Amino acid sequence: MGHLSGEHLYEIFARQKREDRLEHVGTISAPNAALARAYAWQTYDEQKWFEMVVAPRESFEAVNRDEEPFTLGPVEAR
Amino acid sequence: MAQFTDEQLQRKIQEGFIVESEADMTETYKKALIGQLTVQGDTELISAPAYYMAARDAPSTNTMVSATAIIQDEMGHANIAYRLLQDLGVDTDYLLYDRPPEKFKNPFGFDQPLANWAELVTANALYDRAGITLLSDVHRNTSYGPLKRALVKVGMEENFHLRHGEVWMRRLCEAGGEGRDLVQRAVDWMFPMGVEWFGLPDDRKRHNAQLDFKLKGMTNDELRTTWMKAVVPLCEQLGIRVPAHSNEETGEVELEYELPIAWDPDDRVWLLDETITWDDVWERWRARGPMNEEFVDSVRRSRFQVESLLAA
Ligand SMILES: [Fe+2]
Ligand SMILES: [Fe+2]
Repeated sequence: MGHLSGEHLYEIFARQKREDRLEHVGTISAPNAALARAYAWQTYDEQKWFEMVVAPRESFEAVNRDEEPFTLGPVEAR
Repeated sequence: MAQFTDEQLQRKIQEGFIVESEADMTETYKKALIGQLTVQGDTELISAPAYYMAARDAPSTNTMVSATAIIQDEMGHANIAYRLLQDLGVDTDYLLYDRPPEKFKNPFGFDQPLANWAELVTANALYDRAGITLLSDVHRNTSYGPLKRALVKVGMEENFHLRHGEVWMRRLCEAGGEGRDLVQRAVDWMFPMGVEWFGLPDDRKRHNAQLDFKLKGMTNDELRTTWMKAVVPLCEQLGIRVPAHSNEETGEVELEYELPIAWDPDDRVWLLDETITWDDVWERWRARGPMNEEFVDSVRRSRFQVESLLAA
């Protein structure tokens, strides 16, 4: 992966209204958190989100399964 | 991988099983899914330079905003499809930046120049309608969970593109004169492009892994019919001629020519009477249309320049 496509995957979570729960809305790849925030906000602009957060996929800690997060696909060692 | 055989996985899927990771897949499933996502990503990506070419003809700042908003959406849709491919271990840097342009899998319609505002809005009404037809079928039926969830966003935005196209086609048609003529000329060449968008007819394509594994629900002919049932009545309402009509008795839409037909690339017209074979169509698709290289180049041309700035 080059500088532009970024070395990290970030998972994007958002809620529409303050009482909604935070939901997984997508994934973006970016070289750092600042760009991940910008890319996520620009790309996932289909709603006027009350709140959006990003978290690096590699920071996920498995709780009850041995393998990587099930629904997010495998983490590639980059 | 390969905890199931193809037959086992097909049976599980028919019973409602949702595939969530590579561990659930067979090789055949994965290959079919990668093929589907590559067509999806390439089509979304190449629609951006195609629409941008015509958006430069936007008649005002407002219309420029809505046209570029559509282009931004399309880039986002491409990003989503390629992201899903990355999770399947596909080298998307190669697909985007190193693959020969003729290997891109966007439809022939997006190898064509879009010359003016009327062509842009007609493309929104006809081609984005084709996109919605295909993707809403995938959304309803796909056995691949990550794709099903990703398509919620895409569907919302595609509906906006479609409305943009239909509202503007109507405006131009109601204005009459040159505006209506431009829409008519756009529909003349784009309508058969749309008919062809859905690929080979069912009697030419017997076995289909995408259907077996429920990566989609409808056959090519069913999708084509769904598209025509939306587009033909729209054109009839607007008083725009198309080589098809609604049959009021049956409620069906009937094409007035025999598929497939020949395309004259010099005059950019369809030769409706000249019957050819699907092999001839394959040849034309493989030879690509006039904008193929330029559109692909436009999404990659600055990549390596900026890369070298960052590496300095
Ligand atoms: Fe799109
Ligand atoms: Fe679109």
